[in-house]
Amino acid sequence: MSAILDIEHLTKRYARTTAVQDLSLSVPAGSVFGLLGPNGSGKTTTLGIALGVLHASSGAVRWFGAAPTAEARRRVGALLETPNFFPYLTARQNLQISADTKRAAPATIDAALETVELAGRQHEPVRGFSLGMKQRLALAAALLGQPEVLVLDEPTNGLDPQGIADVRRLIQRLSAEGRTIILASHLLDEVQKVCTHAAVLHQGQLRAAGPVGQILAATDRVHLRLAPDADPQTLLRALAAVPFAQDVQPAPGGACSLALAPGHSPADLNRALFAQGLALAHLSTEQRSLENQFLQLIQNS
Amino acid sequence: MLRTELRKLLPYRTAWVILLLFTGLLAATVAGAGGVNVNGQQLGQALYALPGLWTNLTYLASYFSLLPAFLLIMLITDEFQYRTLRQQIIDGASREQLVLDKLLVTALLVGWAVLSVLLVGAYFGLTRAANATLPAVLAAAPRPLLLYAAQLLGYLSLAALLAVLIRKSTPAIVALLLYVWVVERLIRYFLPDSIDRFLPIKALDILTPSPFAQTLDTVLGPSGALLPGEAVPVALAWAAVFWLLSAGLLRTRDL
Repeated sequence: MSAILDIEHLTKRYARTTAVQDLSLSVPAGSVFGLLGPNGSGKTTTLGIALGVLHASSGAVRWFGAAPTAEARRRVGALLETPNFFPYLTARQNLQISADTKRAAPATIDAALETVELAGRQHEPVRGFSLGMKQRLALAAALLGQPEVLVLDEPTNGLDPQGIADVRRLIQRLSAEGRTIILASHLLDEVQKVCTHAAVLHQGQLRAAGPVGQILAATDRVHLRLAPDADPQTLLRALAAVPFAQDVQPAPGGACSLALAPGHSPADLNRALFAQGLALAHLSTEQRSLENQFLQLIQNS
Repeated sequence: MLRTELRKLLPYRTAWVILLLFTGLLAATVAGAGGVNVNGQQLGQALYALPGLWTNLTYLASYFSLLPAFLLIMLITDEFQYRTLRQQIIDGASREQLVLDKLLVTALLVGWAVLSVLLVGAYFGLTRAANATLPAVLAAAPRPLLLYAAQLLGYLSLAALLAVLIRKSTPAIVALLLYVWVVERLIRYFLPDSIDRFLPIKALDILTPSPFAQTLDTVLGPSGALLPGEAVPVALAWAAVFWLLSAGLLRTRDL
């Protein structure tokens, strides 16, 4: 797969902070690419540089394999951070201005308004719109001219549950039409449900990137404990000798938790400890939630 | 690009209020000034007489140049506040295009002002000047109107630069007033006359000379200022400098 967007060693420094640090990633054509990270992790800054509104301190961006130009941006529909409209103009008048800039056919305005269900209110000034309606209008603006690529930064901001479900279906439909979608979100659930690929950002740095199944694969954790009178160090020492016990973390009361290397079961662990003369008083496995996995990705720093 | 700017401008009520205020105030001032008595004589005869009518009119109009300047500042700073400049970049406009768009709006405002002066002048010329015919009234118009257009272009270019630099309407308006009324005058104290006549506001003001300037010159001797014709290239050069600076700011800064 060729890359739609390549970001190479991107750094953005402000006077006091470094918003993005040496970030490299590549968005494959046809993917739904999730940019995942907590608030302030550099998602919007990265997209702002990619879309030409911010200047990078260093590093490069390439769209469609070439240096970014205004013309390349017209092939991308984007909603960045907040919906940006003239409050005194109507929804339709605002879309006309966007369509002019994108050189999109005026006919696509009606289609876009229908898609976001604002056709009935297109002649009202945007000033009176709720955040959710402005967000839907911004989505409509991004859809004008049927761009090959959509960049959606927190597209479900301000939407009600129905609206969130609608956006998810819209993303899935656009993806099925073969378009590439870049979705920035702090909502893991959102990314997990629609994305094929994801990159995890934290404090401006890339923590993980790849197909969603790979980076967000939840590994189960095993919890174990010896009898209460045993020396807490005994268990830790014994586990150090078990090669497939990874990421061992002591817990209160002499207990500890760990992750198993692929291909090994809790029974293997029990057998290995018994072979060292230790009998467990407690052994349980915990289904790791993606939430935990995500938190761990951004905390391992 | 003209269509897009008109889409923003035409439904904007504040713009119409300011533009109609400009035209209305100009007409009212010209009508009112005719009734003023100077040395026991009605000023009207001197004010409306050809060919001085147009010079007098552009001089009066220059007092209202701040109105379109404020409007231009609002139109530009609004787009920073609404983040619509940012959105237009995202949608595929270039930064140079944004500057050209605002230069176009400036040209529209200059066009409105010149047209206002033309209409007001034609009306008072025909109705108040002695023996005036339309061709006679219009024949005297082009030179003063072009000088006035150059002056307003210069003012608006400075206003646009301050709007792009400051990005907020009230501080930008205050900065414009401070520069026009205070800062440049201070600078003039420290510069010899041969140089300070090239400063923007001084050069721009020359383009619509005061009807009393000739009298003053005979009393006080020549002022050392530029002649109106000489001030035109200076005004256009300043306008070019202001727009290039605006373009430079827009190109290098984050939006």
